[in-house]
Amino acid sequence: MLKLKSNVAISESGFVFDAGAGDSFSLNATGLEIVQLIQAGKDFPEILQILSEKYEVDPESFERYFYDFVATLKQMNLIEQDGED
Amino acid sequence: MTMNKLTFERPIIQRINAGLPSKYGMPRHLEPLSHIDGVSIESLLQEFGSPLFILSEQTIRKTYREAYRAFSSRYPKVQFSWSYKTNYLNAVCNIFHQEGAWAEVVSGFEFQKALANGVPGELILFNGPDKSTEDLRIAIQHQSLIHIDHFDELYEIIHLSKEMEERPKVAIRVNLDTGIYPLWDRFGFNFENGEAWDAINRIMTSQKLDLVGLHTHIGTYMLSTDAYRIAATKLASLAVKLERKYGHILQYIDMGGGFASKNTLKGAYYPGTDTAPSFDDFAEAITSALMTSDIKPDHLPMLILETGRALIDDAGYLAGTVLATKRLSDGRRATILDAGVNLLFTSFWYDHDVRPVAPISDQSEDTTIFGPLCMNIDVIRSNMMFPLLKKGDRFVVRRVGAYNMTQWMQFITFRPAVILLDKEGNSHVIRKRENLETLNSQELIPDHLQKFDL
Ligand SMILES: Cc1ncc(COP(=O)(O)O)c(C=O)c1O
Repeated sequence: MLKLKSNVAISESGFVFDAGAGDSFSLNATGLEIVQLIQAGKDFPEILQILSEKYEVDPESFERYFYDFVATLKQMNLIEQDGED
Repeated sequence: MTMNKLTFERPIIQRINAGLPSKYGMPRHLEPLSHIDGVSIESLLQEFGSPLFILSEQTIRKTYREAYRAFSSRYPKVQFSWSYKTNYLNAVCNIFHQEGAWAEVVSGFEFQKALANGVPGELILFNGPDKSTEDLRIAIQHQSLIHIDHFDELYEIIHLSKEMEERPKVAIRVNLDTGIYPLWDRFGFNFENGEAWDAINRIMTSQKLDLVGLHTHIGTYMLSTDAYRIAATKLASLAVKLERKYGHILQYIDMGGGFASKNTLKGAYYPGTDTAPSFDDFAEAITSALMTSDIKPDHLPMLILETGRALIDDAGYLAGTVLATKRLSDGRRATILDAGVNLLFTSFWYDHDVRPVAPISDQSEDTTIFGPLCMNIDVIRSNMMFPLLKKGDRFVVRRVGAYNMTQWMQFITFRPAVILLDKEGNSHVIRKRENLETLNSQELIPDHLQKFDL
């Protein structure tokens, strides 16, 4: 399961602070929703279901955007590298 | 059951670089560009295929008139001469000829092109080091204005003048120190070391040639108007010396090309739209130098300009389609377009202004923009903040009118069509898209290679 690093703090407005590295980031609205769902322990099928009920998006595109987004989070060192146990 | 769902925006996270604003301050929102002169780029791509070069006749004429007015409002005799190599599509040349420009050519091929377009031979300036004996003969026959590049050429023309019993009209190309380095001293005769004055003396004493002008071309994409002031001052001093010694009055001084266009040079701190001097700035520098020189007012020569890129860059667009998006190993975004350095030679010099055609997203990301060639050098922009386009989305590159439609290469795919939008917004194909036949028509297969069995 995907897991955010423990020293990453996320504000309600989408501001992200990585206390370990001292880096900060900003999320757009959908980015924030997804990160919050990851934080709440949801997996991809659940996240897909929740967001596709709310937004006009087909599952195929969503899957591409989602994994691309997660790859970026990994790239930015915000996700536990061994998060998928 | 249907219900109103919200529009989905793809999820994005961006690093905030505190204290390190991007090169131009905060990342600016990249406005899409959907129309050129009121014509939809999407519809042009559907009609003529992708990628596609698009030229605006309106912009060409408007830019030309602006440049002409800048000079003619300051100086009594002004003549532009269209620099063929900048863009020698015949339709483009003819727009400039309709506006009154002569032709400036640098090869036998360009010379023939100008003649075929109907430019009278005596209004063709023949520049450059690449003139064969046959080219020179034709130019002499047509009484064209031959700009001599070196002594070998000077002696050859003297020889031909005897052989042909003609009196060729010539100018010399002068290179000079304008404070801009490197010096372009491989072309023409040097001013500072006296070589140019030497060449003038040999022409005058030969009595075989008609010395009608002096020419210089101090460089390209010049941002300094002062360099032009210095160059014009130095050429004027030669004209004065010539009149003093021989009583000979020049018909023209040709200041060449080189005015910067509004494109942004690679690595430049400020965008070209902010840094390029205006035509008025260049005109003021050149004409004031000539008017305040010691040339007698009633002997002021015609001022010729061979402006290339600054007259056509703005009028050209390259539109096309996104082939794919990827992520590079360092996490950056890569967007791959169906047009690369094969069509956009100038991306080696410029940070080109690439835009989406349709509004896609307010979000942009640090992106490398690649062309379709299987080569590492095929980079249109190495990093720019660019919205996340997806396969099939359209893009357009602005200010590509100069040098791309002459220096493009045919590599792994065909060169695309070029269309011209006229003043009414009608589109005209001015160069057809190449096809297999275009290319194969130049090839021959020896008999023993006609067949094979696999
Ligand atoms: C002799 C001569 N004239 C005119 C030009 C046009 O220059 P530009 O496009 O920089 O105005 C060139 C280009 O290199 C040139 O060599």
